[in-house]
Amino acid sequence: MSSDVVVDIHNVTKKFGDRTVFSDVSLQVHRSEVVAIIGPSGAGKSTLIRCVNHLNSFEHGTITVLGEEVHGTEDHKSRPSRQTLRRIRTKTGMVFQTFNLFPHLSVTENVTLAPMKVLGLPKDQARERAERLLAMVGLSHRASAYPRRLSGGEQQRVAICRALAMEPEIMLFDEPTSMLDPELVGDVLDAIRRLAQEGMTMILVTHEMMFARDVADTVLVMADGGIAEMGAARDVLSRPRTERVRVFLDRVLRHTASDVESPGTASSITPVGGSTG
Amino acid sequence: MLSLWGQYIGSFLHALVTTIEITVLGLAVAAVVGSVLAAMRSSKLAILRIVAIAYVDVMRAIPVLVLLFIAYYGLGQVGLTLSGVTSAVVALGAFYASLFAEIFRGGIKSVERGQHEAAAALGMGPWLQIRKVIAPQAFMAILLPSTNEISNIIKDTSLVVTIGVTDLMSQAYQASSETFQPMDMFILAGLVYLGLYLVISRALGRWELSVQRRRS
Repeated sequence: MSSDVVVDIHNVTKKFGDRTVFSDVSLQVHRSEVVAIIGPSGAGKSTLIRCVNHLNSFEHGTITVLGEEVHGTEDHKSRPSRQTLRRIRTKTGMVFQTFNLFPHLSVTENVTLAPMKVLGLPKDQARERAERLLAMVGLSHRASAYPRRLSGGEQQRVAICRALAMEPEIMLFDEPTSMLDPELVGDVLDAIRRLAQEGMTMILVTHEMMFARDVADTVLVMADGGIAEMGAARDVLSRPRTERVRVFLDRVLRHTASDVESPGTASSITPVGGSTG
Repeated sequence: MLSLWGQYIGSFLHALVTTIEITVLGLAVAAVVGSVLAAMRSSKLAILRIVAIAYVDVMRAIPVLVLLFIAYYGLGQVGLTLSGVTSAVVALGAFYASLFAEIFRGGIKSVERGQHEAAAALGMGPWLQIRKVIAPQAFMAILLPSTNEISNIIKDTSLVVTIGVTDLMSQAYQASSETFQPMDMFILAGLVYLGLYLVISRALGRWELSVQRRRS
């Protein structure tokens, strides 16, 4: 294993009961690499990244995150210790499809809670950190609001700040824009793009093919219980080698293209990345 | 009637202190034991779940008066003599714990799974998750049914009249045998109970409203 591999997924098999979601999946993510995982729904894309921070367990194989090794539950009797989980999770930020902000806390409190309680950061430092992050995503004016007063796009940008406030070395994004109205997607993607430019290591499950092509170094296509194809983003997305991936991309891209071309639809006349998000 | 009320209201209010004491201590026991039971119900260990379920069933089946007599007379017989007030706290605490266990469990279940996951993904341990993320959100789902049980436990404290504790009920009983005016005395007792209920339920209602406002 080369020294700058920060996430090493080795021959991992995941089952839900009798059903095998995927088997023998391997993936190495290097520092500052951006990996986009695409593929049809039900292929286990989200499940795979949820195995990285152990929100899901897996049966076989090994996942090593920043040197912390965790084995499959059927290979090893012992479960990862609480300390191991804590070390992995404090270094691995996660952004969920459904945002999952804490509704009883203000925006600032959402961002400062874990740094204060998990990392033991003093309150004023946690607040400074929150202010800096909220400014970065253009939400300083919403610092004292409660999540239910925010749009989906604003909530997701706060969720990104909440994860970044732990100063993680790796970020996991689980379909971060698929619950958003089309006109709110742009701001969230902008925030993710900026992170990528700053050199954050990221694994991103997404349906935004154009975004994957722009931002990702590596694209991984999951289908039929495993990795259908993996390689440099431009290669996989423009010259897929397998029929399975060609069909999938065809279907997705045709759908996207018709969205953009048909005149007068909401998505084509609404400016992307407007301040309404 | 009013002059009689004026004569007795002082001693009634004095006895009310005992009623409130049993209520507050009984609630404290019920809340603590209830939380433990709720935690046991969601434990991975089957034995803990079974014990918690059995406890709730048994407490539902037995009249509170039977529990009170077990605590006061029964435990005394086996060498654990409790005062009247302590017996009442134990009996009411034990019974209401079974109700609060269910209320707490419902409250915890009302919090979406994604909240646990978000907290876990930030590196929070189970205890921190419960304290900072789950419990505050379960609060709303818990407060309303709790208010009902609080008004029930106030009424159930009157059972201590049977073991000679001088609470509001037994004060009214005594006063009615002194004055031969049971109607006046028990209506006065009812009015004092009503006053206590109104104060507590309005206070809890305000609390709920203020929390709701703060979070929007």
